[in-house]
Amino acid sequence: MLNYLEILDRANNGPYTTEENWDLEKVAMTTRRLVKKYKLEWNPKELVTDDAALSEAIWNAGYEMAVELGSYSRSTERIIQLSQDEIDSGIRNMPQEVIMGEGKDARTLYARHLDDERAPLFFGGSPGTPIPEKLFLANVLSYMQEPLIDLATCGTLVEVDGREVRTGNPIEIVSTRRELQYMRQGLKRVGRAGMGMLAAQSSVSELGDLAAAHPDYLRSCDSHLVPMLNELKMDHRNISRAVNSLEYGMVNASLPCVIVGGLGGGPAGSAVVNVASYLVANITCLADYHILHPIHVRHIATSTRDVLWVINATAQAFARHAPSIIVADIYPKSGAGTKELLYETAANAIVNAVSGSHLEGCGSADGNAPNCSGLEARLMAEVALASHRMKMSRKEANDFVLQLLPKYEHVFSLENGNLGKPFNEVYDMQMIEPLDFWQKMYDEVKTELKEMGLKL
Amino acid sequence: MSKNVYLQAIAIAVIDGEAEDAVNATNAALAANVDPLEILNRGLMDAADEVGKRFERSEYFLPELMLTGRALKGAMEVVKPVLLEKYADNESQVKGKVVSATIQTDIHDIGKNIVSSMLTAAGFEVTDMGVDVPIKSIIDKAEEIEARIICLSALLTTSMPFIKDLIQLLEARGIRHKYVVLVGGASVTETWAKHIGADGTAKNAADAVKVAREKIGV
Repeated sequence: MLNYLEILDRANNGPYTTEENWDLEKVAMTTRRLVKKYKLEWNPKELVTDDAALSEAIWNAGYEMAVELGSYSRSTERIIQLSQDEIDSGIRNMPQEVIMGEGKDARTLYARHLDDERAPLFFGGSPGTPIPEKLFLANVLSYMQEPLIDLATCGTLVEVDGREVRTGNPIEIVSTRRELQYMRQGLKRVGRAGMGMLAAQSSVSELGDLAAAHPDYLRSCDSHLVPMLNELKMDHRNISRAVNSLEYGMVNASLPCVIVGGLGGGPAGSAVVNVASYLVANITCLADYHILHPIHVRHIATSTRDVLWVINATAQAFARHAPSIIVADIYPKSGAGTKELLYETAANAIVNAVSGSHLEGCGSADGNAPNCSGLEARLMAEVALASHRMKMSRKEANDFVLQLLPKYEHVFSLENGNLGKPFNEVYDMQMIEPLDFWQKMYDEVKTELKEMGLKL
Repeated sequence: MSKNVYLQAIAIAVIDGEAEDAVNATNAALAANVDPLEILNRGLMDAADEVGKRFERSEYFLPELMLTGRALKGAMEVVKPVLLEKYADNESQVKGKVVSATIQTDIHDIGKNIVSSMLTAAGFEVTDMGVDVPIKSIIDKAEEIEARIICLSALLTTSMPFIKDLIQLLEARGIRHKYVVLVGGASVTETWAKHIGADGTAKNAADAVKVAREKIGV
């Protein structure tokens, strides 16, 4: 493997190009060319494909893009070139197993293969969602207490002690440490102190990340995010996060949020960019595992037809050609207290279960409001496990998803989205239990899913 | 060739995002004495509107918007001096100068890029300052180019307070009245925009163009 100092050197001394040139001439034009070369097309009625040739073509196109482009440092306006040997070495060295957490609560994240006999694992929490401090602990408890949840994640604290949190401000250090204090407190309260986490979500710049790398906060058996910027870019902030893990040893979760409808164009190009991003992130993000989180250019959510296709295509390309640990974020459009959230969650869970990913969620209400709860994470895990137990084929998965789409697709045309209600209006804040109306919605949707043939 | 053929050639070049063709077609139209105002409105702007509509219908994506922006920029450089010469009040033909930026500490640029491209396509003269731009630099740039609109973007909730700071700094400098401040980003709501004293917000890029037009009366 490359010495990471070599990456820093390349970020400082690589070939110069403007960011606009990188975006347009490199990323956009290369994607167009590769989509044409490999004749890549998406089918809005076949969101879960079982087309090995298509998967191979997407893999080859992504691989070609990674070798051809490498990465770009926005901080220095330099291209971080990566050779084919280095990309290949990144693939060979991609961890196949990572132990998260400790003691009886430890879990082994593993690289899922297609039709893997082993069940996927579940991260519970609403990753990155802004959460007021008064709701934070109760909110994370609602996920941590769920028996099917294996690993914990959380939202972002937007205030501490009544003070607004500002990125890059010293208060970011306070908020990130406070977040970790609540997380550790929560895990102890539910009797799962050793549970592994993907946390320090309140660290938007590198400040919080640096401040949380301590056994009292983020342990070396926990993971943190090393994001990439759209598309295939890094900057000093995010490189600092990778560097921060070097000796301390945190688990690095790469986060390239490819925008579907962005520089990669439509779904086919976006899948190519996503594959290339992971191959680059193996090296630039020092990725131990990858977060799968394509974003719709207008709707954000991961439950639109085109984003579901990209999720399936990307995860499947790796599962078939270079199994790696992939954890898919579920970001539904709808918020807690709505049936649509549960349908969106079910659709995402099915697609991910049969495509080779582990699951994380849910970033309900687009992860944009504290309208999220542990109940939808319970459904996420139940549906994914049912799909796994049933040995659901990709064809069957596609049929299920096509049945679910009409139940929620109208939310994408609602002017104000489908926000639902904040956590404290869907859960009893003392008992940390869903309120009756929310529980009833969940029960009704579960019955519908069973009637559709899902063995819940 | 008829006037419409020249205008159509310009429109096709803009819609296809072919900068060189757009410049050549604009030069050809001017050489054939097509009115520069018609080139602007019927050749360039109508085509740009069409590109915006295609983006909204998911027929076009960000690269197409950016390429159209390049084509428009090239063609505008050709047509603008002729407009200046022919129409004394040429400045009124440019809908307004805009400074756009993602606010300091926030590094997300796609939403801001789309809005900048759509505003350019709608005839605004946009100076895009990029991401993570200090509030003082944004104000200084707006003063320097005599902008009418300051467009600010923030995706991160924890970067949004800096937008409020910018508005307060405009007030402290006594220049708040000179600018229409529009704010946007995934976490920005109309209520928040009003609360911090912004002049408007929009749910998407097409809406942003509409709001910008309304706010400066064009």
